[in-house]
Amino acid sequence: MLNFETTLQVSKSYGDLTLSEVEPILKINLRSNKREFSTKIGKLLSIIPPIEANTSSSNEDYSILWLSPDEWLIYSNNKISYEQQNLLEENLFKNISNINQGSVTNVTDHWVMINLKGSKIYDLLSKSSPYDFKNFKMKKGSVAQTLLNHTDVILHNTDDNNLNLFVRRSFSEDLWLWINDSARFL
Amino acid sequence: MFIINCPYCGERDQTEFSSGGEAHIVRPKQPTELSDDEWAEFLFMRKNIKGIQFERWNHSHGCRKWFNVVRDTSNDKIHAVYKMGEKPPVNK
Repeated sequence: MLNFETTLQVSKSYGDLTLSEVEPILKINLRSNKREFSTKIGKLLSIIPPIEANTSSSNEDYSILWLSPDEWLIYSNNKISYEQQNLLEENLFKNISNINQGSVTNVTDHWVMINLKGSKIYDLLSKSSPYDFKNFKMKKGSVAQTLLNHTDVILHNTDDNNLNLFVRRSFSEDLWLWINDSARFL
Repeated sequence: MFIINCPYCGERDQTEFSSGGEAHIVRPKQPTELSDDEWAEFLFMRKNIKGIQFERWNHSHGCRKWFNVVRDTSNDKIHAVYKMGEKPPVNK
């Protein structure tokens, strides 16, 4: 049996800034360059994968992030149980992977999602990221894959001064400690 | 340090990319008919000139796609960026 324990399990706040891991949510990686893929996903989840770079689309239940011209990341906006996650994955797998329309990979345990809230989140990220957040923070729904303290991250701007950060599980504790350490000096 | 305009993601810092060496090296059609020297020439020998060089780059910390860059190695000025499989926009 897999151990689903998360690495962080705490929520911290530093003045205006709040950090917390959001869990359990579903995360699925999709890859495809087939033409019918978009409509397939639209039918299954009533959401269309964005074609424009560095953008995302959302509905009530899911957000889908652009990662590269043929790769997307879906995650659920609400916490859902592992049983429900497995059902959804199975459904996608049956309708996409099984008929060679693309690949469906469950990356729920691969990425750790941390929610950052507060007016100083971009000051915090700019401390150790080469990315220019000027346009990112203006546009709700923008997505960026970049480095933060030498660690690969995916950033999703969900609202004003509110973003979701995805980091690989094995790096999550290290990045979490760095974020907490840096947040003290804001 | 310089900024590279990824053809898929837009302008990003160089630290997000990794260099893949010289571009447009064609694999010999009949490797078995080559001498060891000719094969070594294809496999190992790369230009390292001061001036305009055609290079492959990978946006390894972003979209993970490969593309070509025309870069002046003396001042890191990038003259053109184009996708894999496309013809160089300037004469090679």
